[in-house]
Amino acid sequence: MTVCTPATVDDLQALVRDSERIHAIGKGSKTALHCPANGAVAADLSTLSGIIEYQPSEYTVTVRAGTPIRELAAALREQGQYLPCDPLLPHAATIGGTVAGNLSGSRRYRYGGLRDFILGAEVVDGLGRAFRVGGKVVKNAAGFDLSKFLVGSLGAYAIMTELTFKVFPDVPRFRSLGFDFEQLEDALAAIYFINQNIFELDALDLVPHEDRWRLLTRLAGFDETLPQRVERFSAAMTRHISPFSIAELDDSAALWDPLAKLTGAYLVKVALAPKQVPDFDRRITAAQRRYGVGGNLVWLATEDIRQISDALNASGLTGLCLRGAIDSPVIGAPLENVLAARVKQVLDPHGKLV
Amino acid sequence: MNRAFFAALESIYPAERLLTRDVELLPYESDALTAFSAKPGAVVLPVNEAEVIDTVRLCHERAVPFVARGSGTSLSGGSLPIPDGLTIGLNRLNRIKKLDPEQRIAVVEPGVINLAITEAAQPYGLYYAPDPSSQSICTIGGNIAFNSGGAHCLKYGMTSNHVLGMKVVLADGAVTEFGGESIEGVGIGPDLIGLFVGSEGLFGIALEITVRLMPQPEMYRTVLAAYDDLGRAGDAVSMVVASGLLPGAMEIMDRLAIKAAEASVQAGYPDAEALLIVELEGEAPQVKAEFDQLRGIIDQSGAFETRVANDEEERTRIWKGRKGAFSAVGRLSPDYIVQDGVVPRSRLGEALVEISALKAKHQLDVANVFHAGDGNLHPLILYDGREDGALEKAEALAGEILALCIHLGGSITGEHGIGMEKRDYLPAMFSEEEIDIMQALRLAIDPKEIANRGKMFPGGEAPALAQHGVHPLEAAGVISRE
Repeated sequence: MTVCTPATVDDLQALVRDSERIHAIGKGSKTALHCPANGAVAADLSTLSGIIEYQPSEYTVTVRAGTPIRELAAALREQGQYLPCDPLLPHAATIGGTVAGNLSGSRRYRYGGLRDFILGAEVVDGLGRAFRVGGKVVKNAAGFDLSKFLVGSLGAYAIMTELTFKVFPDVPRFRSLGFDFEQLEDALAAIYFINQNIFELDALDLVPHEDRWRLLTRLAGFDETLPQRVERFSAAMTRHISPFSIAELDDSAALWDPLAKLTGAYLVKVALAPKQVPDFDRRITAAQRRYGVGGNLVWLATEDIRQISDALNASGLTGLCLRGAIDSPVIGAPLENVLAARVKQVLDPHGKLV
Repeated sequence: MNRAFFAALESIYPAERLLTRDVELLPYESDALTAFSAKPGAVVLPVNEAEVIDTVRLCHERAVPFVARGSGTSLSGGSLPIPDGLTIGLNRLNRIKKLDPEQRIAVVEPGVINLAITEAAQPYGLYYAPDPSSQSICTIGGNIAFNSGGAHCLKYGMTSNHVLGMKVVLADGAVTEFGGESIEGVGIGPDLIGLFVGSEGLFGIALEITVRLMPQPEMYRTVLAAYDDLGRAGDAVSMVVASGLLPGAMEIMDRLAIKAAEASVQAGYPDAEALLIVELEGEAPQVKAEFDQLRGIIDQSGAFETRVANDEEERTRIWKGRKGAFSAVGRLSPDYIVQDGVVPRSRLGEALVEISALKAKHQLDVANVFHAGDGNLHPLILYDGREDGALEKAEALAGEILALCIHLGGSITGEHGIGMEKRDYLPAMFSEEEIDIMQALRLAIDPKEIANRGKMFPGGEAPALAQHGVHPLEAAGVISRE
């Protein structure tokens, strides 16, 4: 694959115009997304990097798409802020690749995912046109919101060069608790209990743990209020749900990295509803897995990608393969949609962007 | 609209749900942008999604423009009829088809009233978050079309952020679904929900919507602070933001808005130049700690009086005046225009000073009500439509305020949408190429431009807000102003 490294948006526009097929890449952290069809030129966007404008008092930040997540996160942290959608690969990925793949991490549970925090973007489409979508202020209802459309678009409609996000003040302290359950259904019942309760968790994931299921919960807030909140939460869970056991966990970055223990050759993201979990889980017992965001998505790692795609087909779900050697990263139920096709027809009529 | 088209409508609708007589059409002639009205050719009242789909397909086939309408509360003229076009009234598609408190979702039809979702969810300790001031009458379908906001958007976002799945009929009759019951929404593939929500009815009609519900906060703490200077209230907002607190809402009202609220709902507000409402919400221990911090900030901000809501009744009283401010202004003036511009929060003070100067220049009264937390201004420009040239003067001032918002780096609309009202200002925010691309997108979905024709894009056939003098259609008696 030929790799070109446009130094400016103008270069990128020229590259798109002059190429027959083009495939945008960032740092290459999601290997399965970098297997474009034959003859495509790879546009390496990692040089289009850096924070353009950050105004902590506005809760907004504008960055070039090739900016590493870690650089953005560090700048926000310095001001006591964070991206609540919690980009998935904080140490390896660029913000553009994260948006293209729609990859939010566990803390997305509290306030929402990438689609909820993207405000606007500058893009280059398949005709080489550079233009802006969305806005730069926290609230804007003018024009069609193509910025949200970019989330999950896998670079197939337009290549992002600049992105504006809403950011929030971060909280100073965290406490994590693990609740163990003998059955998956019991752990899901605990999620349903939490869903209808007053406890505002920062994150809520579910993992197989030894021969049980462990619900990972995290509370965030002030030093002086956390002990009381942890106490209340844990007491309510004991009273209403009766878990097999409760343990305070070390609130480490590793605990809340959903991929930390997913070592299999293939890594797949699946979005699903909590009530689809029991049926789907029965079909993928051989895979390493972590249900995120209160059972609303699952990260899977496996050596046997066929089992995953069979399970997806049987459940009518779609998966996105992030790691592993594969022809097309989208597996399971196909993504074709008439509305998306109309957008493609306008932004990339010649099908250059792959 | 010809006889053949009417005959086709008659094959879909019984006579009582196909309105054609003048007296029946009258209630549909305008929406909350009352300065305009236009007579639709007919109004149909479907009761199920099949009728909506059949109607859209018929319109596409015969190239008859249509407007989908809920309760007609659009402040930008978004549901203003197209002269001689079809208005599709969706209020009767008002079933809550599913409420699943365990997964915190509801599946609703487009004619469901915003507040009805919260009412249905309340027994489970849940609520539907977006809260436009019109929430007791506006419908979800309209909220979808205009990505409606409200006072509590700062923390949890606007309508778009609360939609997880949709079934829609596109303007050319194609029916498609995206998203589902996962909180990830579409999850994999482009976020079609984000694209459809806020498209102002130009892409088609939402038939079924899956929304997320939120747990009702354990505790609210609402404080009302009175200032003898508008700028000081604005500074207080900056201080709250700088402190790292994330309130659920931050609202400011100026003297005239306070006066209107008092006259209308007797909110019992202090006599002040500006009132700031800040509301914290969440788990009780955390909210109490945050509230101590907030009190400290408000005390230092120069407020001459502060009131704290200690229970739900006091909270309701504080909000009553704010939520009723728009309709209250109607008591001060026979007519008014509501603007909806956004400025970066740090430039709020500057914007208010400028608006004040513009107000003096045009010799018009402007009441200011705004979502200070996200820089969303709602200047209400008062005028008397019976006076010659008064509307034109008000519109000129409105135009200057929009130009100011763009100049300060903001947007011409935060939550009301472009609609009819601001379509001539779209080019001030987007380049020609950007508008061309949006227009191409619209044409790819609606090649005959039948869905809400005349809205959002400049020009077009439908009646426009005349910036200078009488609009030709008005002179011809096609449209009229109250």
